[in-house]
Amino acid sequence: MTDAAVAVERLEKTLGKNRVLQGISFEAKPGEIFGLLGPNGAGKTTTLRIICTLLSRDAGTVKVEGFDTTTEPQEVRRRIGVVTADIGVYPRLSARENIEYFAKLCGLMDGELTRKVDAVIERLDMGSFAKQRAESLSSGQKQKVAIARAIVHDPEVLMFDEPTSNLDVLASKEVREFMVEAKGRGKCVIFSTHVMHDAERLCDRMAILHHGLIVASGPTEQVRGTERDLESAFLALVEA
Amino acid sequence: MNAAWIVFQKELMEVLRDRRTMMAIGLAALATPLVLFVISEVSTQTATQTYTVGYSGEIPTGLAILLQATGLKLKAVADPAAAAVKQVDLGVAFLPGEIDEYYDPTRQSAQIADVRLQTILGQYDAAQAAAALKNSGIDPGILTPIKLVGHPLSSPVQAASNAFLSFFLPYILITMILTGGFSAALDSSAGERERRTLESLLLTPAPRSRLLLGKIGAITVVSLAAAVVAIGSMFVALTQISLPGSSSHITLSPAAVPVMVWLALLIAFSFSSVSLALGTLAKNFRQGQAYVTPLYFITILPASIILFIPDFNPNLAYYLIPILNAVLVLRDAIVHNSVSWMALTVTSLSLLATGALSWFAALRLFTREALLTK
Repeated sequence: MTDAAVAVERLEKTLGKNRVLQGISFEAKPGEIFGLLGPNGAGKTTTLRIICTLLSRDAGTVKVEGFDTTTEPQEVRRRIGVVTADIGVYPRLSARENIEYFAKLCGLMDGELTRKVDAVIERLDMGSFAKQRAESLSSGQKQKVAIARAIVHDPEVLMFDEPTSNLDVLASKEVREFMVEAKGRGKCVIFSTHVMHDAERLCDRMAILHHGLIVASGPTEQVRGTERDLESAFLALVEA
Repeated sequence: MNAAWIVFQKELMEVLRDRRTMMAIGLAALATPLVLFVISEVSTQTATQTYTVGYSGEIPTGLAILLQATGLKLKAVADPAAAAVKQVDLGVAFLPGEIDEYYDPTRQSAQIADVRLQTILGQYDAAQAAAALKNSGIDPGILTPIKLVGHPLSSPVQAASNAFLSFFLPYILITMILTGGFSAALDSSAGERERRTLESLLLTPAPRSRLLLGKIGAITVVSLAAAVVAIGSMFVALTQISLPGSSSHITLSPAAVPVMVWLALLIAFSFSSVSLALGTLAKNFRQGQAYVTPLYFITILPASIILFIPDFNPNLAYYLIPILNAVLVLRDAIVHNSVSWMALTVTSLSLLATGALSWFAALRLFTREALLTK
């Protein structure tokens, strides 16, 4: 029995003719930020999509909080929250209605629904625009809506897939702060990025993916090794 | 709360705030009375229009009065054949014991004037013959040895109304159900991909079949709302205007009302499933429009059959063809005020099967990986 919130073992996936994942394994634990690093096309997003049950796996096992992603996908979805770079919100619903919609689909009702939606709006400082239609919100505000709807049901595992790539400096800072705060509350945070600077600052442990294989993994300091920074270590690994 | 109900409520809320869909429903309400008004005006104008007959020679006694009473205005011309090309609607040369008629069949006004002239001349000849026989002491009744007495089994006025409704009502019903739900269906399927909300929706624990059910339910309601608005405005308009062949206002036969409501529900469910399945194939709203638009032409065709073949009496196998079957059942209910239960059953099963197959297709498309990876 492992204490991992997310356990990936010998995971394989082929999309079309492209063998995207070639037997990767890693574990992410509660109370840590686990980085999934790699260049574009390395297989980061595919890995996250398999973990969150959007894609099936060809081989290997993936468990979230002990639940298998293939045989118990609904139990897995109850326990995860996903924030992606693509900020998709319903433009004709207000920020609050967007959050409420996803909260209801996650099974929250009546008093609990109102309480949790209010709490997440306050926590992300969204009070000033909660009643505004999403179509009139800025990118940063939309990203807050995306985060709010991903965490409103208080999942144990949070996955961030390049969450800051479309955001300005201030909005990016808020997202990073949120990840640190979530880690502090004992959540397992998986952070997929190709921005080495962010990864170095935030991640406790990480795995570096390249061509569907993990080329390095472990605590951030260990992956950096003797190189001057993570970016140098990363370049050395992928160019090797 | 059931996930399907949550999705249903949210989709309806979005539709109510969507200008595109609301405008489509509003236009449906306005367009139907407008079309009826134009039909009424054109038919009234055609019926009361006066046509000019250019003539030469001496007009037989009494014929001029008859012609003018039928809306044929007489005008003396030097050459009736030349005048009939453009100057007048019909050219007539009155010769001793003969009338030469000149007209251009490509002109509609010439065709109508020709029919009127033929009718009047027929009546004039009969009257002349009857008068001559009477003067000679012979009973004019010998001209009609077999007398025809007509006994219409239904009101000719109601028959004309029914003939109009049997085409127009299925046409409005089908087009409005289809077009009314178009925008909502695409917004709910291709729109989710375009807005990049689909992934978040699929990440919720709600079963995908329930998500889809909620969407189809909302689209069905929007489609039906569009049809109700269009048909409602049509009947309001029909209380204000009269149509060709109908001196009184048009009413729907009692049998047609429940049949129409039942068929509307089935068609709306089928169309919602089909358009949602097609929309799910599309990456964005525009691509979705390209996929769904041909559906409009495919479905309008059966409705048009009633226009071109009003007495089309098919065998039961024809009732297996979706949409055509609904049009036929509705036509029978309107024209004959009766329903063939066998035809209605086959039609219902056919439409339900179409809806169910489309639902499964939509579900398969909605759960395929390519939805997120392509």
